[in-house]
Amino acid sequence: MGRSITDLLWFIGKRLLLLIPLVLGVTAIAFILIRIAYPEPCVIWLGGHAKQSAVNQCIATFGLNKPLVVQYFLYLQQFLSGNWGISPDSIPVLTSIAQYFPATLELVVASLALIVLIGIPLGVIAAQSSGRWPDHLVRIFYLGGWATPTYLGAIVVAVFVAPFLGLPTSGQYSRPPPFPLVTHISVLDPLLAGNLPYVGDALMHLFLPAATLALLNMGIITRMTRTSMLEVLPLDYVKAARMKGLAEFVVMYKHALRTALISTTTVLGITIAGLLSGTVVVEEIFSWEGLGQFAYDSITSSNIPGTVACVVIFTIGAVVANLLADVLYGVLDPKVEWR
Amino acid sequence: MTEDPVLRVEDLSVDYVAAAGTFHALSNVTFEIPPGRVVGIVGETGCGKSTLAHAIPGLLPTPPARVRSGKVVFQGIDLTALPRWKLPTVRGTGIGMVFQEPLNSLNPAYRVFDQVAEAIRVRRFRERGVPAARADRGPFDYSRRAPPSASSTIGRPFLPGGAVEERLKARPMTPASLKEEVLEALTLVRINDPETILRLYPHELSGGMRQRVMIAQALSERPALLIADEPTSALDVTIQAQVLTLMKELIDEVRTSILFISHDLGIIAEMADDVGVMYAGRLIEFGPVASIFGRPRHPYTRALLRASPDRSKSEGPLQSIPGSVPSLARLPAGCAFHPRCTLARPNCSVDPGPPLAPLELPGAEGHRSACWYAREVDA
Ligand SMILES: Nc1ncnc2c1ncn2[C@@H]1O[C@H](COP(=O)(O)OP(=O)(O)OP(=O)(O)O)[C@@H](O)[C@H]1O
Ligand code: SF4
Ligand SMILES: [Mg+2]
Repeated sequence: MGRSITDLLWFIGKRLLLLIPLVLGVTAIAFILIRIAYPEPCVIWLGGHAKQSAVNQCIATFGLNKPLVVQYFLYLQQFLSGNWGISPDSIPVLTSIAQYFPATLELVVASLALIVLIGIPLGVIAAQSSGRWPDHLVRIFYLGGWATPTYLGAIVVAVFVAPFLGLPTSGQYSRPPPFPLVTHISVLDPLLAGNLPYVGDALMHLFLPAATLALLNMGIITRMTRTSMLEVLPLDYVKAARMKGLAEFVVMYKHALRTALISTTTVLGITIAGLLSGTVVVEEIFSWEGLGQFAYDSITSSNIPGTVACVVIFTIGAVVANLLADVLYGVLDPKVEWR
Repeated sequence: MTEDPVLRVEDLSVDYVAAAGTFHALSNVTFEIPPGRVVGIVGETGCGKSTLAHAIPGLLPTPPARVRSGKVVFQGIDLTALPRWKLPTVRGTGIGMVFQEPLNSLNPAYRVFDQVAEAIRVRRFRERGVPAARADRGPFDYSRRAPPSASSTIGRPFLPGGAVEERLKARPMTPASLKEEVLEALTLVRINDPETILRLYPHELSGGMRQRVMIAQALSERPALLIADEPTSALDVTIQAQVLTLMKELIDEVRTSILFISHDLGIIAEMADDVGVMYAGRLIEFGPVASIFGRPRHPYTRALLRASPDRSKSEGPLQSIPGSVPSLARLPAGCAFHPRCTLARPNCSVDPGPPLAPLELPGAEGHRSACWYAREVDA
């Protein structure tokens, strides 16, 4: 027990082991829910007018006549061996995931960066001016974002804000890229190919969906930063920092915020989970070719393996986000010992 | 006293404006600290000692606090008239501070080294970033080098903290010399194993150790004035004695001016050269230690000395003061002490109350008392 790197690695390892039962549970729940939602998937796939013999054949092929438990274990067996099923357009689900996941990761990381760069300083400003107009302004700003449904916010940004700013609202690039998509991260691929104009193009395309996600999910972080700053500001060490002769900016950001951030990290996991679920709507509206759009398409096109895979990936994403938050908490708070 | 005082507090009044009313935490406080002297401030809890300590370097949160009147003249500059953004230039190297609560006065997120080193960097930067020639000078001898005066720091173009840090990165003072100075600062406050201590976080230190680090940090900036706001009240009795001994030794060593605040008459008697006694936000008596403790000239001071278990001078049985301290929101008219005063006469409750005035008595030079009948107070 301690704060060395090995202790930290043990901590992360143990937490990752917890993923195994979690993924089992989540796949089971997703599997059952989907079987309730689609009692007869073969009828949906083959169309309402399909012959009974064709439907029976389909049921036999996919083993849908076996008991549900057996079906689940068969699915799990395939799942673990890397066969996550095949979408109706006959692309393996795992291939789609490998293609779309990096794009979503890029979107989430970009909006997280915007939240950190804007949401946290806003919380500091609100705490500094608590009870006065900048505080109220910030509160209106983040409560507005928080209360707005994702689809509404995304549509408002895409329809009204985008023309005003002259920014693109669709896809990752303006024209099909002339370079291979190695990582499927829209900013990284042209960078690897040394194509700088495309990097700029990608950044312009990334900005609006990332900003939309960020604005809609910033509230918790800003509020938490404000609350914990208000707790820290009257403490003697903030005054002691001032009494060292440091400028107010250094006192705020190096001393007060540094400890206030420890509490802020506790809501980081929730925020990332919010961002992940927000991608489903935001990617659809901004035609961002990522996992959110894939999830949306899978659900609307009765793509059962695709839907389950998305649920699993989003679950893992949320768990890893929480682990990340816990690690960050421990790194920021010297009192934490890795257990 | 021909030298200009380091600090002159003139007619300072501070209110706290709260929902429950306006609290007159300080009313017309006037005193000065001559260079190199230790001025003690004593008073019961809630009488405004911390408010005074925080008001001097402009640390009071506004709101709720509000400076109603007065000046705080530090090395010739009125700090209450200084724009807020210039205040940092006076703090640290000009006025240093040790806080009441050692649990909270060090940042829990940074190691001891980083916190002390930061203070040293601020000072070195103010000395134009030139690492001082160390060989010819013993540690912390203020007498050989005049501390930077506030007028010289304020006159220089102000650089925000960020720029300070960047400048320091651009031209690093060697890490070795910085560490050497941190070690020196920790050794100065009698920390036996500074090499180990500087790697620790505040939560790994005891209260007494934290207060030592706090003192080291404040002194490492070589302030012209050190304010110590009850530096030992929150400590265990044994640790309290150790830290007090340390401070007493440091007072002789560093020869800086000190404002030492305490509610304990015994501590003040031991540490201070001059004493101010506060009651309900007013300074009611001020003068040399021997004079105040030997021959108090205010009924409250006299009562306080009689009520104090470790009084050294006065005889007779312990007496507690009848009545209770008035609320700062509803101060009595005239002399704030009149409801409890045995000498009170009708004119004592008439506004304005008695001013803090010199006694004009032989053998009481520099002794001031805020009582109409100061001459009649017997020992
Ligand atoms: N932020 C505040 N808002 C309102 N009133 C306050 C505030 N801070 C202090 N006061 C009031 O001002 C008065 C003086 O407080 P101060 O802390 O200066 O007293 P003190 O002499 O330092 O007491 P102690 O010995 O307990 O430290 C107290 O009566 C307190 O109730
Ligand atoms: S002025 Fe009057 S009430 Fe006040 S201390 Fe002196 S004698 Fe007492
Ligand atoms: Mg106090």
